[in-house]
Amino acid sequence: MKSVASDQTLNQVERFSPPNIDGFEIKGRPFIGLGLLISTLIGTLAVLIYLGAWASLDRIENRAQAAGITESQAEGQWWEDGLIIACPLH
Amino acid sequence: MRNAALWLDSKFGFEEHTIAHYAWVIVAIAGVVQMVGAAIRMAFGVLVDPLVAAFGWSPGSIGLAYALMSIVTALSSPMAGWLGNRFGARRTMFGGTILFFIGMMWTSQTKEIWELYAAYGIVFGVSQALLLVPVVPAVAAWFRRHLGLGTGIMMVSWSLGPALVVQALAVLFATLGWSQAFIVVGVVGTATLLVILLFFKNTPEDAGKIAYGTKDTDNPLITKGNVFVSAQKEFQGFVYKTNAFWNLINIHFLGCAGHAVILVGIIPLAISKGLGPLTAAGVLTTISIVSMSTRFAAPVLSEKISAKAVMFVSFFGQGVGVFLLLTADSTLDFYIFAVVWAIPYGGEGTAFPVMIRKYFGHTPMGTTYGWQLLGAGLGMALGGVVPGLVFDITGGYTWAIILSALFSLAGAAAILLLENTKKQLIPNWPEMEIKPEEVAESAGITASPRPAAGD
Repeated sequence: MKSVASDQTLNQVERFSPPNIDGFEIKGRPFIGLGLLISTLIGTLAVLIYLGAWASLDRIENRAQAAGITESQAEGQWWEDGLIIACPLH
Repeated sequence: MRNAALWLDSKFGFEEHTIAHYAWVIVAIAGVVQMVGAAIRMAFGVLVDPLVAAFGWSPGSIGLAYALMSIVTALSSPMAGWLGNRFGARRTMFGGTILFFIGMMWTSQTKEIWELYAAYGIVFGVSQALLLVPVVPAVAAWFRRHLGLGTGIMMVSWSLGPALVVQALAVLFATLGWSQAFIVVGVVGTATLLVILLFFKNTPEDAGKIAYGTKDTDNPLITKGNVFVSAQKEFQGFVYKTNAFWNLINIHFLGCAGHAVILVGIIPLAISKGLGPLTAAGVLTTISIVSMSTRFAAPVLSEKISAKAVMFVSFFGQGVGVFLLLTADSTLDFYIFAVVWAIPYGGEGTAFPVMIRKYFGHTPMGTTYGWQLLGAGLGMALGGVVPGLVFDITGGYTWAIILSALFSLAGAAAILLLENTKKQLIPNWPEMEIKPEEVAESAGITASPRPAAGD
């Protein structure tokens, strides 16, 4: 019985109301929505880079203290150096 | 079963709603799919110690598998939503079930860390997207009206289910060991999914039934065939051109980042303030239980009153509520926070399907919802990282709390910039030129009793 129902439904599908979209268009581009999304992404990246650079400096400082050397002598990991270079505030 | 439902209908005098409708079976199946799909994600914490003991891997490197899985799930979500639209939720979830089985078996046999990343991080990550993304649009297709009610009940089961599964998994891990537990959960989970998918129907038309809330004056919606495929492409093109589509991704990201910080950081924060581990865990449990109320209420109210207003109040409450943590230093303070904050938190993420319906009508929402879950997944991943990072730097959680508030309040501000939900942004989805009864009667079947649905 169910398969009959499905067949009937499939046949009826051809009897559809064409969508009333003649002439419908969305003028303009979604600047507000996209702008907000991009602003959020940039803001989030900025916060992550800032926190990451801060954490990296802390780690390098701790290693330097433990080894009894200055911070400039202590070697950073590649990602620590990268975050410090990327952050203009560190 | 159906007779029992009809009896309950008459017993409780339901007029506008009915229990005797297949839509509720679909909602129940959605709850089970979520329970199985989320099982191992929720139990990851239980997995870390056994892997450290067995292989000597560091907790950090094991935790990377969880982060990878979260990101892979988020990135796969738009694809999963599109697959659900194009090939149907049932086939997509079947694909997710196969990957679930492979992921579970492979993880159980893991010997190297890269295998954990591949099996748990990638295979299970994709599987989770295929299981969890298409099911919500499929439930939506079963509700011509009252989607808020259907969504609310589904969302409650989504928070109750994993809580139960985690307890069962903890017992399995303790009695069988991690490897055997993965095999058992993989086999039982896969069998469960395969059985319930037998009863799952993508649309009411597939089951020869009528969507919940259909009125006598409604024509059935187009749900298959070439017309469906071409209309879907055209309508999705309209959706991409709206501000709401992009802003909702942004809002979901901000909301999830906001509460993930708290969900991940609340136990270590409470312990750092002198609470015992069990008491601290109770704070999280309280949040889960109290939030169920608004998980149900938010979508219902969104449909009845205003989706935009409900979402704004939830985001604003979630953002302002976390400031209670700045002065919390006793057990009572933390439990008051849990009750007060859980109310807006529960309503934060559950109204999105209703919002999509308001803006885009009955256009299949798989792709749109998938993109929103991409935002949500990335927000959860970000929010999960922030507390640990902030604690490493400052030795406390104050800045993590402030960041959480900023994320949620930015989301609230973005909601204010959404279009009015009273006006649909794109044309109505095409309908068949026949009445629902004609389909049912010509096929010789009895349609499910329909509620005398009003808007």
